[in-house]
Amino acid sequence: MTGQMSPDKRVHFWKSKRVFFVTPQVLEKDIQSGTCLVKYLVCLVIDEAHRASGNYSYCVVVRELIARPVQLRILALTATPGSKHQTIQHVIDNLIISTLEYRNESDPDVSPYVHDRKLELIEVAMGKEAIEINDLLLKVIRIYAARLNAMGILLNRDYQALSPSDLLTSRDKFRQAPPPELSQVKYGEVERFFGALITLYHIRKLLSSHGIRPAYEMLEEKLHQGSFASLMSRNEDINKAKLLMQQSLSHGAPNPKISKMLEVLIDHFKKNDPQQSRVIIFSNFRGSVRDIMDALSNIGDIVKAAQFVGQSSGKSLKGQSQKVQQAVLEKFRAGGYNVIVATSIGEEGLDIMEVDLVICFDANVSPLRMVQRMGRTGRKHDGRVVVLACEGSELKGYRRKQANSKAVSKHMRNGGIASFNFHLSPRMIPHIFKPDVQFVELSIEKFVPRGKKVKDDDVVEMPMWKKNLTVTEADIVAKYFNNSGKSWKPSLIAFPHFQTFPCRVHIVMHSCRTGMMIDAMQHLQGVVFSRDKEGLPVEEKEFLVEQHGSKPLEQHNNCCQDLLNFDDCPDIYEQRSMSDTPVQTSENADRNCLSTIASKSSPVHSYLFSADFVSVDNLGNVLILSVPSLPSPKVTQSDDIYLKCPKKDSGRFLAAAQRSEEVRMPFGDSVQRASAQTRCLKSEARAVSTVFDFEAQQNEPTVMDMKNTEIENVIGVLPDGGDGTNGTPDALKVKEPFPLASACNDDEEDAELSPRLTNYMESGVVPESPINGESNGKDKSAFVIPDLVLPPICSNHLFMSSSQGKKRELIKEFDSCRGIVSGSPTYNRIQTPLANIKDGSNKSKCGHASPDNQMTPENDITSGHSKNWCLTPNNNSNSVKGRKKLRRLRRVGDCVRRRGLNHKDNDIVPIVESDRSFPGASTFQNQNNYNQGEKKTTNNGRAYIEEEAEVSSGAEASEDEEDDLDGDTYEDSFIDDGTNPTAASTQDITCTVDMMAVYRRSLLSQSPNGWRMSESTSSSGKNLHSLYAPGSRLKNQSEGGSAESLSEGHERIPKRRPSMASISTTDGGSDVERLKRKSRFHDPDSVPAINLEREFLSQGDSGNEEPVHQNQANGVPADFDLFSDDHFYEGVDLDALEAQATLLLQRSSECSKEKKETIPKPSVDHAGSPTFDLGI
Amino acid sequence: MEEDPTFDPDLIHSIFKSVWTRMALERERNEAADAMDNEAGPVNATSKKNRPTTANANALKLSCELLRLFITEAVQRAAAIAEAEGMTKIEATHLERILPQLLLDF
Repeated sequence: MTGQMSPDKRVHFWKSKRVFFVTPQVLEKDIQSGTCLVKYLVCLVIDEAHRASGNYSYCVVVRELIARPVQLRILALTATPGSKHQTIQHVIDNLIISTLEYRNESDPDVSPYVHDRKLELIEVAMGKEAIEINDLLLKVIRIYAARLNAMGILLNRDYQALSPSDLLTSRDKFRQAPPPELSQVKYGEVERFFGALITLYHIRKLLSSHGIRPAYEMLEEKLHQGSFASLMSRNEDINKAKLLMQQSLSHGAPNPKISKMLEVLIDHFKKNDPQQSRVIIFSNFRGSVRDIMDALSNIGDIVKAAQFVGQSSGKSLKGQSQKVQQAVLEKFRAGGYNVIVATSIGEEGLDIMEVDLVICFDANVSPLRMVQRMGRTGRKHDGRVVVLACEGSELKGYRRKQANSKAVSKHMRNGGIASFNFHLSPRMIPHIFKPDVQFVELSIEKFVPRGKKVKDDDVVEMPMWKKNLTVTEADIVAKYFNNSGKSWKPSLIAFPHFQTFPCRVHIVMHSCRTGMMIDAMQHLQGVVFSRDKEGLPVEEKEFLVEQHGSKPLEQHNNCCQDLLNFDDCPDIYEQRSMSDTPVQTSENADRNCLSTIASKSSPVHSYLFSADFVSVDNLGNVLILSVPSLPSPKVTQSDDIYLKCPKKDSGRFLAAAQRSEEVRMPFGDSVQRASAQTRCLKSEARAVSTVFDFEAQQNEPTVMDMKNTEIENVIGVLPDGGDGTNGTPDALKVKEPFPLASACNDDEEDAELSPRLTNYMESGVVPESPINGESNGKDKSAFVIPDLVLPPICSNHLFMSSSQGKKRELIKEFDSCRGIVSGSPTYNRIQTPLANIKDGSNKSKCGHASPDNQMTPENDITSGHSKNWCLTPNNNSNSVKGRKKLRRLRRVGDCVRRRGLNHKDNDIVPIVESDRSFPGASTFQNQNNYNQGEKKTTNNGRAYIEEEAEVSSGAEASEDEEDDLDGDTYEDSFIDDGTNPTAASTQDITCTVDMMAVYRRSLLSQSPNGWRMSESTSSSGKNLHSLYAPGSRLKNQSEGGSAESLSEGHERIPKRRPSMASISTTDGGSDVERLKRKSRFHDPDSVPAINLEREFLSQGDSGNEEPVHQNQANGVPADFDLFSDDHFYEGVDLDALEAQATLLLQRSSECSKEKKETIPKPSVDHAGSPTFDLGI
Repeated sequence: MEEDPTFDPDLIHSIFKSVWTRMALERERNEAADAMDNEAGPVNATSKKNRPTTANANALKLSCELLRLFITEAVQRAAAIAEAEGMTKIEATHLERILPQLLLDF
């Protein structure tokens, strides 16, 4: 293991292996880091033990091991223990050696393994120039040596025999203990002399052993720096010597050593194959290495030489990086080089292959290094060592060192017991065991030299994914990821309704962005349903509705604010609702609403409606409270409303009458229901409280408003109270009473309204609670109410149109109506779950229709109302959506809900449709359109429908439902007529028929005209008219649409009227036949729309003002309608087919003119629709 | 170490690569168009943009895990919707219903 191996891997190896070859540094580090399991170490073998000095890793490792309670043997091997007795003793101490075994080549147990190694010493005479230079240098040396000698610092010896090391020791001695007689001043001089002498001796040594060139370079270098330059630069002898060197170098005098070496080399390669034989030339000095390389380059091809030097880069010579060194050795092994000229780094440690000839260019080196150099050869076969020694000092030094090593080796004879101190080492093996010596031959099958690059031994694991995929896998990838555009791409906008509430999650929770999107979608769609799924959702929805309503109110006040405003409004509503916790506030709000309504006839109404809606919502839920707050500010304006009220009062206040009727209806229903059912005690209580408040308020001035509010509340209650109790009969009864109640005083009505409200609440609950027969009954009741209410609701809707809650109520009522219708036509169905489902669907449809109706009423009431309507439609749509959700819960109901949702989504659309249908007199168509629109509008709707169909009885059921709806629509139209008559009758009592007719006309005109026509009369007047309109509508309806239609003269109206009139006439024949209405109510789904249409028409007829309103309303709704229509058209083909079928049916039933009308309208709608779709 | 079954990083990598190469091709095309538009502009063919995107092993592992979570969540949510409708099979519409929120959740 070396330092190139990652510690992690070493840890692994330390645990899994038993024998380690480790560099001392790695062992040291691993012992210190604890990764080496020291306690399992048994034997430590140290090679090159002579390095164990100072803080070398060997010493550290041994100290670490000894410091621990570990018993182990240390075996240290070295070829050169030391050149002195002292160093050997150090090694013994550092490695805790207890016994020393010494062998040399001549020893019997070594000699068999040692190949013959001839050591040749070649004496080379110095060249003439060298001798001369040497003499000159000696002269200089003598002077300074003499001076130092005079000072008593340098011993009086032969200056020629002095070596640099001698001078160094003398200088150290002087520095440590300067002679006392020497003054301090002289110290610097002495230092300078020493420095100069050392340099000179070094140059002389270079000159003798390496030649003139290195010496010259040394001298040149020294003469340019430091004290030596200042001391010697003017010395004649030095200059002379330098000149001589330059001369000898200039004429290229060969160094005798190099020439001798070349001689030896050539001789060697003559005897041996240049390809197989290897030679290493050692030189102690890098400068001489370069000289040798230069000389070798001139020999020729047989010698391919490379230098092998250390990494450090000198000034003139560059070092070799480890990479280059490795490359040189690799090439040397492979035969690229056959001669290496190395400095001392090649002497030991590096993995240099066996060589045949070692040439030591300089002899005056330590015996240790000499032995190491010699170790490069003679390993596997005979080798030869040539030492080139220069005559004179070098040769003397070599001889002396050889003698020295011999003396040291003598110390080691006999284990060195006499010479060295050894350390005790206890026996590790128990005495019982007597180990025998066994000879085991270890054979290396194949020696794998280490590669150029040292890599981690462990194979880099290829990641799984780098393996190629199978063909089949590749094909699959290509199939699914390469053909772009052709594959199915999921739509992100397919189910907008699903984005209004957080979907169920598995592990990953919803992010804040999802929450933001949900909120945005809720605002966009006016849906509060997101939370509907839960028990609270309904309330929340209501709240949302309220919020929406409140927003609309405020914004409506501003008039004609965009739907966006509505969207924004919800928040305000919420805030308001939040602020307005108590019911009282709600009352105030109602008052405010009323006041606002009064102040702004149309806007006020819208406001009132909104407020009412809010209140209704509140009634339904806590939301009511919030609603009041808004109204409260408007209370001041209640007087204005009263103005309207008076009007209402006069004719029973057309609107008031209507409202009252409506209120009565709800009240009666609520009362009956309340009596019959006390389920929605809370809601009722709330409603009652609110109602009472409202009543109180209403009783005062704005009875009508109160009523309206109450009605709205009732409506809200109804939706809220959709407990699905057996209120149906009650409801029916209630319905009957309601009309009666409507006949009653407003106050009474108000009182009734509260109960009705409760009833409504119940009824509302019923719709929510899907499938109960009771719910159906309630639905019926609701339907009945709608019938009665429808006209009133229309008015109420006008009021309530602003109030989503009312819308909801209306919707519920409509739903109930539808349910009734379905029930009446298909009582069996009602009784049966399917019927329930259908009822639910009908309800949803009714709800749709109701929204539409509401829309229409609003439009009828005032242009501002129309705006409100628009707002309300949104609200309604929201509410419808909520219902849809609820219905979704019910499979059948889901379909209805979907439709309702679609209606909601297309709230505007429904209105438009209703309008359109009215003009086309194709309420059925409208309904169909609604249905289709619902379906089309929301893909979800379709999906829902489809799903519902699938889930429930299936598409057939849905179709049946649709058919029923269609039939209902027809019936509704009849019912409407009937209701109208009834209302008219009631209204007639109080109000003037003319007004009703006007209203009807206005309504009719609005619906038809609204689209096309921009007959804008005074909006205010319209508002008033609209207010009156409800009543008027009722009256008109009661009077008979035909006359109205005729009077109106509107093309659409007439067309419609005829059909309507026929229906109405038939229906109207029995004004009192509200029971019949119930049956009709079954159809009412369409009827409400029709009624609305009629109302619109009536409004349009009634006055240009109404038309204007309608126009305004239409303007807002128109866009929506257009959009909705588009949606409808966009809807599935099936829907279109259904619509067509319905249209056909309607057409058949209705006049061809009507058909025409209806047709054109849709087209128009289509034109506008695209944008809407986009919006969706 | 018990690991939940997840995607084969190899598969994910090849998918990624197919997408990357496609994107690179598109980019080249666009750049070629751009180059045609302004020929004077310096065209550096060896710019970083043209180098194919790569991912190392850990990034792929992470991608696999993310995809696993994403798909698991998508299937579970769609299954919840399908279940609520009484369906035993997850249809595309179910996925579409949960998709917007799912995308925002990741």
